[in-house]
Amino acid sequence: MASLFRSSLRTATAMPRLTQPVSTTSAAAAVRCSGMKNLGIMRQAGMTKKGFHASASRKLLPAGPQVIQGTINDAAEVPDPNAAHGSYHWSFERLISVALIPLTVAPFAAGSINPVTDAILGATIIIHSHIGFESIIIDYIPHRKYPTLRKGSMWALKGATVLVLVGLYEFETNDVGITEAVKRVWKA
Amino acid sequence: MNTTFLSRSLLRAATSTSLKPTTTTSIRTLASVATSQTAPAEPGSKEPNVKQFQIYRWNPDTPEKKPYMQTYELDMNQTGPMVLDALVRLKNEIDPTLTFRRSCREGICGSCAMNIQGSNTLACLCRIDVSNSAPVKIYPLPHTYVVKDLVPDLTQFYKQYKSIKPYLQRKTPSPDGREYRQSIAERKKLDGLYECILCACCSTSCPSYWWNSSDYLGPAVLLQSYRWLADSRDEATGARKSAFENEMSLYRCHTIMNCAKTCPKGLNPGQAIANIKKEMAFGS
Repeated sequence: MASLFRSSLRTATAMPRLTQPVSTTSAAAAVRCSGMKNLGIMRQAGMTKKGFHASASRKLLPAGPQVIQGTINDAAEVPDPNAAHGSYHWSFERLISVALIPLTVAPFAAGSINPVTDAILGATIIIHSHIGFESIIIDYIPHRKYPTLRKGSMWALKGATVLVLVGLYEFETNDVGITEAVKRVWKA
Repeated sequence: MNTTFLSRSLLRAATSTSLKPTTTTSIRTLASVATSQTAPAEPGSKEPNVKQFQIYRWNPDTPEKKPYMQTYELDMNQTGPMVLDALVRLKNEIDPTLTFRRSCREGICGSCAMNIQGSNTLACLCRIDVSNSAPVKIYPLPHTYVVKDLVPDLTQFYKQYKSIKPYLQRKTPSPDGREYRQSIAERKKLDGLYECILCACCSTSCPSYWWNSSDYLGPAVLLQSYRWLADSRDEATGARKSAFENEMSLYRCHTIMNCAKTCPKGLNPGQAIANIKKEMAFGS
């Protein structure tokens, strides 16, 4: 029923005459439509329009068109179960995080620096940061969108982790080690 | 429909005789049920309390035109207290092209989920802030594909909901052949889970869901999944858990907790996800 009257109402709101009296429609009565500065055409009908973007939009990683796998009535696909990427991975990740707390505090609490604790601390930090960076890559470089970049970043991360491992080994064997370095920087 | 129309006409006639004859009133405002939320107008008796509404507009019929913000003005003295009241009134009386979903107007259907003043909520449960003169800014749910104006496309959200098999799965019949009964303690586990109305406020406020909505299930669907994992009557716990044994479905939750902050029903999807992770790690 409303559609019968819709077209007339639409023209009334979309193109109000500049001299439109206040009480011709209830719409005009409902809104403030006179006594305002800058009486534009849209303003009179109680509407103003403004560009959505204040500046030129930069097309950085645009979302792209919507992709729906299968029909809209299909359930989203469930990936093959693999605990190494699921619960085991999560438990290991948490274990490493928790282990870092005593490992960081222990040498300072004990007051002595043991090369073995230092080595364990170094290894744990490397594993912890590797998992962290891996998580960042999974989050921000989705496989479905940038498969090559994803693979490349994963290998780059592996390379970086090995590099840091070698560097820390050198630092531990030929220099003072992590704990002593932190101590010196702290007191510097 | 007809009764509503008649009663509205009568009410209009009774309340606005001093203003003008009812015949000049646009018939569309009377034809809508929703107009009943508008308080009767008493012009002249009160200073008009005008509030601005800035609303995201985009029309699929003119895709070459970029989305823009449109400003509307409403007299708060004649408008109901909730944002949905204002939207309904805007649509009925000012701009019939304004598009949004609404149904129950009491926070139980989850249709009118949108981004109001920067946070996802249900328009029907969100009061219009009349304490200041700042305009009310209304956007569709963030990071969704927009169908029109404030209507987001929730296809993926529903597909994901379907993928968790949100129904009781059970093979063993109950011992006495009657209902599957629960103890009070077992039933208590479902409190804070069954109330979810799937409005998608939490999922669309989750940064992790923004980046990976095609693979990560998001807080709403995970909360629903936990509702079935926590149900003592359900026997598919193993299958449900094994569906999460991958890096994307569950473990993209980084405990950002936007979900709990935004939930218009006051639920805590973050806690439900934490419980799933705990059960995945330690069994039970």
